[in-house]
Amino acid sequence: MTIAQQVKTTLASLKSAQANLESFALATQNKQAKQVYTQAAQTTQSVVDQLQQRVGQLEKEEPTYKGF
Amino acid sequence: MQPGGHASWLKGVIEVPEWVHIIIRTLISFCAMFVFARLIGKRQLSQITFFEYIVGIAIGDMAAIIPDELDAPLYHGLLPMAVYTALPIALSWVALKSKSARDFLEGHARVLIRDGKILEDNLKKERMSTDELLEHLRSKNVFKVADVEFALMESNGTVNVLVKSEQQPLTPKRMGLQVPPEVEPQAVIMDGQIMDEALATIGFNRAWLKTELEKQGVAVENVFLAQVDATGQLYIDVYEDKLKIPEPQTLPLTNITLKKAQADLESFALATADVQAKRMYTEAAERIQQVIDKVGPYLTR
Repeated sequence: MTIAQQVKTTLASLKSAQANLESFALATQNKQAKQVYTQAAQTTQSVVDQLQQRVGQLEKEEPTYKGF
Repeated sequence: MQPGGHASWLKGVIEVPEWVHIIIRTLISFCAMFVFARLIGKRQLSQITFFEYIVGIAIGDMAAIIPDELDAPLYHGLLPMAVYTALPIALSWVALKSKSARDFLEGHARVLIRDGKILEDNLKKERMSTDELLEHLRSKNVFKVADVEFALMESNGTVNVLVKSEQQPLTPKRMGLQVPPEVEPQAVIMDGQIMDEALATIGFNRAWLKTELEKQGVAVENVFLAQVDATGQLYIDVYEDKLKIPEPQTLPLTNITLKKAQADLESFALATADVQAKRMYTEAAERIQQVIDKVGPYLTR
């Protein structure tokens, strides 16, 4: 696996974790837990955004692997 | 028994055979005892003082008079029972209002061990031998007197023990851990019946429950008990005990995914030669670590 592919895998799992955190935030009735989940989801989302940018850069550098 | 020898209120009204008379009186005394027992209160037998215990016996004894002495009018039994019921209620009311009355009526706890030292004088006052003290401590799972910081004998005779702080069980607070508040789970299915009220309390509906059951591949009729916790995780017990239902894994799985992503980010940071990318990865890894630290306790329960 090239670096671009590895980063994409990590990006995918982070996205899934982020989505899970959001659904936990929706499911829980407890205010404190809801807040913790929401914050965690937001932070994770910001990391996802950063990684997304990096993937764009990598794809520019290794156009062969674009889309994989 | 001579006929007509037992003058009774009932005999005056209608002539009844003696055995019917006995049954009626027994029923009356039974009901009266039930009512008086309810009036006295619902404290457990282990919590009552010796005095309350004797009062209970006395009331029972008076109840026995009613079917036993057919000649005596009913109130010979009922009246003292009522008085014996009213007195403890009155006394406990007085005890509730005044501390000194409470100390006098209910007695007070006596310290047996303070700062790890056995107070022999107090032991003597309670007429407790060393063996008894050790026995009481052992029943509290304390086998070494050296572990005890403080012990006292309550007014009802039980010995309660505070062990030294280093012997106390480890709690999240002592560890300095932040843990989510515990919320009581709700039983949403009992004996194959959906409990709508419980479902509403925890903020879900039948449609949600149906989806969750479908995910686990179980029909409602086959569920003996299903509980939902505060995070919306559904735990199911089916009638068929051989059937294995997987426990919900989303929470721990998310935790693991986050941890893995964090490790990945760190290794990317090490692998890349690009200074800017290195900084970005390191920073991202740190932020995910913060997320794990905060949300971890909520995901691993």
